[in-house]
Amino acid sequence: MAGKIIADTLEHSTAGSIATNYVVNGSAKAWGHFTMSSTTARDSFNISSLTDDKTGIFTADYVSNMSSVNYSPSTGGTHRDAVSENGWVLAVQHAGSGADDMTTGELSLSAHNASSALVDTVQATFQIFGDLA
Amino acid sequence: MSEIKVDTLTGKTTAGDITVTSEGGAATQSLQQGLAKAWVNFNGTGTIATQDSLNHSSLTDHDTGKYSNTLVSAMSNANYAGNANGGQPGNRDCFALFPSTDANTTTTHRVRTTPSNSPDGNHDASVVMISIKGDLA
Repeated sequence: MAGKIIADTLEHSTAGSIATNYVVNGSAKAWGHFTMSSTTARDSFNISSLTDDKTGIFTADYVSNMSSVNYSPSTGGTHRDAVSENGWVLAVQHAGSGADDMTTGELSLSAHNASSALVDTVQATFQIFGDLA
Repeated sequence: MSEIKVDTLTGKTTAGDITVTSEGGAATQSLQQGLAKAWVNFNGTGTIATQDSLNHSSLTDHDTGKYSNTLVSAMSNANYAGNANGGQPGNRDCFALFPSTDANTTTTHRVRTTPSNSPDGNHDASVVMISIKGDLA
């Protein structure tokens, strides 16, 4: 640790000020970009591993856990094949879906095509907001 | 109440890595890694127009429901994470898909807006919102 500053507010000379709780609470706690057919992230932050549960469903595990299961994920992604850009956004998996639930240590997401069938998306992205433990 | 007045925050040991303590106090994480690097809210109908933004230079209207967003400061690679949402109040709902193709660059990415009742079709949305997380160059 090179040094530590404890402050409630950051103020820029021209761009205004922000309470530091917005910096801490408002920052993404994890993010990832990957191809669903692979368990290797193209790039990520606070992600320890990816598990390819089955076609169209994967689980991302965090390095540092969230403080509760009530955090807020947002997702994006499109399945693109040689024919068209058919695809659908990723959805958070919940209990009873056949995949792991959303826990403090991991999140399962699914991707569906226009017919609601599970598909492995070419590009899947997600971000997690909430409180770290 | 303490206040720091400063224009730039730079890590001492590593310029691009400032550590913040977690809400629960049990972990630390990089301040830079958790910040949104770009966001934009724009009108996607007619002559598209940016409403508000961060690190955003321009929009391109490629076709119905297909847009490109160009950044001012480039990302370090094309593998950043993002999400997009769209809507059309008073009409049918739209969803914005990010990215719409596998052709992101460090400065430009595409999004596609599609109606919820016909996800294979494209439809202009009156509001499209994009946010980007990842590493700046």
